[in-house]
Amino acid sequence: MKVSLSWLKDYVTIDVDVIKLAEALTMAGLEVDGLVDRYAYLDRVVVGRIVEIAPRSHAETLSLCRVDVGNGIKPVVCGATNIKEGDLVPIALPGAQLPSGETIDAGRIRGQASEGMLCSEAELALGMDSSGILLLPETAKPGLGVAVALSLSDTIIEFDLTPNRSDCLSIIGIAREVAAILKTPLRYPRVKLPPGETPIEELCSVTIDAPDHCPRYAARVVTDVNVGPSPFWLQDRLYSVGLRTINNVVDVTNFVLMEMGQPLHAFDFDRLAEHRIVVKTAQEGQAFTTLDGVERTFGSDMLMICDGKGPVALAGIMGGLESEIEDQTTRVLIESAYFNPITTRRTAKRLGLNTESSHRFERGVDPVGVRRALDRAAQLMVELAGGKLAEGVIDVYPRPIPERVIELSVKRTNRLLGTRLSQDDVGAYLKSVELDVEPLDEDRLRVVPPTFRMDITRPEDLMEEVARLRGYDQIPTTHPVSHVVARKPDKKLRVRDRLWQLLAGCGFSEIVTYSFIRRDACDQLLLHDQDPRRRMVSILNPLTEDQGVMRSSLLPGLLATMYRNSKQGNENLKIFELGKVFLYTTPDELPEEIEMISGLWTGARHVKAWHFKETKVDFYDIKGVVEAVLAGLNIAGVRFAPLTGTDFPYLRSGYAAQIQVGNERLGAVGELSGEVLRNFGLNQVAYCFDLNFDRLVDHVSEEKRTKALSRFPATTRDMALILSNSIEAQALLDFVEAMGQVLVEGVEIFDIYTGSPIPEGKKSIGLRFTYRSSERSLTDSEVNNIHETITREVLKKFSARLRPE
Amino acid sequence: MKQEFEKVEQEALEAIKGISDPTGLKTLKARYVGRKGVVTALLRKISGLPPEEKPETGRFANEVKKRIEDAFAKALQALEADRGEVTADTLDVTLPGRPLARGRVHPITQITKAICEVFQRLGFEIVEGPDVEWDYYNFEALNIPRDHPARDMHDTFYISENIVLRTHTSPIQIRVMESQSPPVRIIAPGKSYRVDSDISHTPMFFQVEGLMVQENISFGDLKGVLTTFAHQIFDEETSLRFRPSFFPFTEPSAEIDIRCVICRGAGCRVCSHTGWLEVLGAGMVHPAVFEMVGYDTDRYTGFAFGMGIERIAMLKYGIEDIRKFYENDLRFLEQF
Repeated sequence: MKVSLSWLKDYVTIDVDVIKLAEALTMAGLEVDGLVDRYAYLDRVVVGRIVEIAPRSHAETLSLCRVDVGNGIKPVVCGATNIKEGDLVPIALPGAQLPSGETIDAGRIRGQASEGMLCSEAELALGMDSSGILLLPETAKPGLGVAVALSLSDTIIEFDLTPNRSDCLSIIGIAREVAAILKTPLRYPRVKLPPGETPIEELCSVTIDAPDHCPRYAARVVTDVNVGPSPFWLQDRLYSVGLRTINNVVDVTNFVLMEMGQPLHAFDFDRLAEHRIVVKTAQEGQAFTTLDGVERTFGSDMLMICDGKGPVALAGIMGGLESEIEDQTTRVLIESAYFNPITTRRTAKRLGLNTESSHRFERGVDPVGVRRALDRAAQLMVELAGGKLAEGVIDVYPRPIPERVIELSVKRTNRLLGTRLSQDDVGAYLKSVELDVEPLDEDRLRVVPPTFRMDITRPEDLMEEVARLRGYDQIPTTHPVSHVVARKPDKKLRVRDRLWQLLAGCGFSEIVTYSFIRRDACDQLLLHDQDPRRRMVSILNPLTEDQGVMRSSLLPGLLATMYRNSKQGNENLKIFELGKVFLYTTPDELPEEIEMISGLWTGARHVKAWHFKETKVDFYDIKGVVEAVLAGLNIAGVRFAPLTGTDFPYLRSGYAAQIQVGNERLGAVGELSGEVLRNFGLNQVAYCFDLNFDRLVDHVSEEKRTKALSRFPATTRDMALILSNSIEAQALLDFVEAMGQVLVEGVEIFDIYTGSPIPEGKKSIGLRFTYRSSERSLTDSEVNNIHETITREVLKKFSARLRPE
Repeated sequence: MKQEFEKVEQEALEAIKGISDPTGLKTLKARYVGRKGVVTALLRKISGLPPEEKPETGRFANEVKKRIEDAFAKALQALEADRGEVTADTLDVTLPGRPLARGRVHPITQITKAICEVFQRLGFEIVEGPDVEWDYYNFEALNIPRDHPARDMHDTFYISENIVLRTHTSPIQIRVMESQSPPVRIIAPGKSYRVDSDISHTPMFFQVEGLMVQENISFGDLKGVLTTFAHQIFDEETSLRFRPSFFPFTEPSAEIDIRCVICRGAGCRVCSHTGWLEVLGAGMVHPAVFEMVGYDTDRYTGFAFGMGIERIAMLKYGIEDIRKFYENDLRFLEQF
């Protein structure tokens, strides 16, 4: 909300500079967002002395003036007739922007150079006279800024108010806070109504059919008004807070709105059918054109102001086009009401309307202030529009807002805040913002908050008032005294920490992508129709279609990241993401959230450098990473096997493996299918792993047991086999392990070879066996015996033969 | 014979000292141990000695030759080392080493951990909750009923009428308090979502929420804990400013500014020339929230606080555009 300092000073004495004031208000909970010099728009408007006016012929309406602007003489073409040589006038220099929005340029008018514009007071928004150039006092010096020459100074204070402080949505509301903080007196405007003429009851009636939506509705009627422009002081006040001037009647309602925070509405009384007001809810589907010229359709929970025939205003939000004040209006009905905040908010939200009026009703206006604002507006209308007041007031108040009485314990206040305030201190702070305070006993106070403080309903609200008025900086900083109990962090957190270390150690960088992706990401990944990842969670109001659903896989994020990086020339990527995916369950349950760990490697195995030629990453590189990570997490019994089923259609068939522990599948690793890459706009080979983190955590063992180290030497023997291409290495290793030879310490595959001289359909595999005993040194013959036994069994089992030396 | 060798060695060693350029040294070396050098010539003479003297003299002669050669090599090396030149038997140690790929943990993860660790040292326990959350936990149980203007502070993504993407990690407070009696000391990091996207907002962001509930916890204690936090995450010189604010689930509520870490309060672009940076929201848990979870409001008090992790990371690392965190440009990630 914007507040003019000079307007504020009408109600409260301010004896500190505005920067100090702003800081004090911020520290009391009314955050000042900015301080703006109200007359900054006059920065390029200076005092000029007319040195010469070139005579003009009768046919011409413009004359060429030469104007001294302090640092030189400027030619200016001007049409005004009220100026003479020697006059001091405001001149807008090139670059100046006038309140109308017009920017002044140096240019040529009718062939004459013109380097500025002489301005009327209306053109500078300093008055209403537009008939001639504003003449400045003799004391003004050429070149001086006009704002300085006219001693114009005002600061606009911009507040970022919190939603609870509806009482501060007015100049007086802010003034009240200023008075409390600066401890200076507050001056409310004096409202004095002239005697009324025709009794209002003879003119009109008000009926409230929906008292829950409209607890109070008050009205006055002003007759014999002359609708016309407002006096300058009123226009100036409205300008200062960013409002437009319409006419004297509407301007008064807006002035009172800003001054007191009570939204008012002025109806053309003679356009209200049957001269009556009925407050009721709309009929479903009822249409009505609001002041802004838009036809709107209503629901049955929306509140309407109607006349004898139909709707004339959308209660608390916007008036109707049909009953607005026009130049020929002579009788005005002023509405001042208290509309239910929730009703107003629902309606405004549904219609997408946010007006000065709805903003205040939504947050709650002062139910008692309704009358004061009505009287204030009536008084000003009589004064400024030459109207006559109808005798009396209509005030229908079917649901009085009850008085709130709160008991406050000073002891509890001190306990919550960590202070040692006396009962008197607490009472004084509360009284300073117009709360009614009486001691009940040694500890307790009986507090009645004023009706404009709708936010104060319970003792803690009062404690906050005390704290903020005392100043949070005056509350001693302490440290809590507590029971020292330590809980071990969740296993998931520990595994995550380890995973970050392991993957970073493997050279992978973590990425974090948005949890929402495009709906067709499942198609891009080629997921089949029954894939659970197609059960996506949709966002009703996404920012963009690209962020329309919650992700059910981390791969789209990895691939989008690969795409974005390739556009930046980052061709070599080793990245991973650890995060949740979301699967829709039923409408009455939250989605299933599964944490996944997925990674992508594309481009070079090593970043190219002087040491080695660039080599491309391959399947065994990424598999090695997965093996290292799973081993690092101490997961036992990990197996890699060819893909089965249809869960990984995005991996290239034959170039990917599923990863299992026992019967449970953790995920898969392999090359991404070319089609999927193309679907994401990519054409560089890429490898990925995609693992279910939640399942993985279950298999992580946090126990470690060491084995005794043998003191005896190891011996190795090689076995070079030629066997069918279709036999998987794992089968060989499994078979050897199953033989249970205790002296075999390890088996390693040290060579794989196909091609001449190995026959078609066969491959050669070189195995290196390490033999060791924990009890003695093995003899050559002993080792040879075991090795021969193993060899024989292997040859038999796999129909293999030994490769000739 | 031996004396002759010793004499030549003496001469050679002396001569080396007098040479200061590599070319001169090479010439000199040729004169002694080259094919037509003095030592070579002497060596040839050994063959004319009586057989019983040959082995002994030969050994001695070779030792002398080796010593002279070493002396030349050493001198040459010394000369070249002075000039910083590389020779065949030294490495260019300034060439970059064989690169090992070094992965980075995302800056948001790093800062989240750093923040959580401060509170873990203070005895807070990390808890997590769902990203897709009931409206009840995200709003209503936090004293933000439907149709409350405070909902305007949260531009919410909706999944259905009753299910939202959590707009903060505060719903975790409720889930914890529903399942546990005081004392409670938790810290809840995680993703949050709001319909917002510009240079300082992303539709997804990270928050850390903290909660401490027990007997006799005061606003002063909240000040103490958050001051400790700011001192540990930034530095001991960081001063804090507690300002009254409004959150429906705390009362009194505060916003906490730290002295601008860039200009130290002098005023700069980062702090909009105010000298202060808003980093935290906090307050004493609202009794309405305690009532929702069935805590005894006469007995227990508590405080809650929350902060945006990106904001802290941006200040610590000098990042101006929040969107950089989620673009995942390798050139950005590799700086952490």
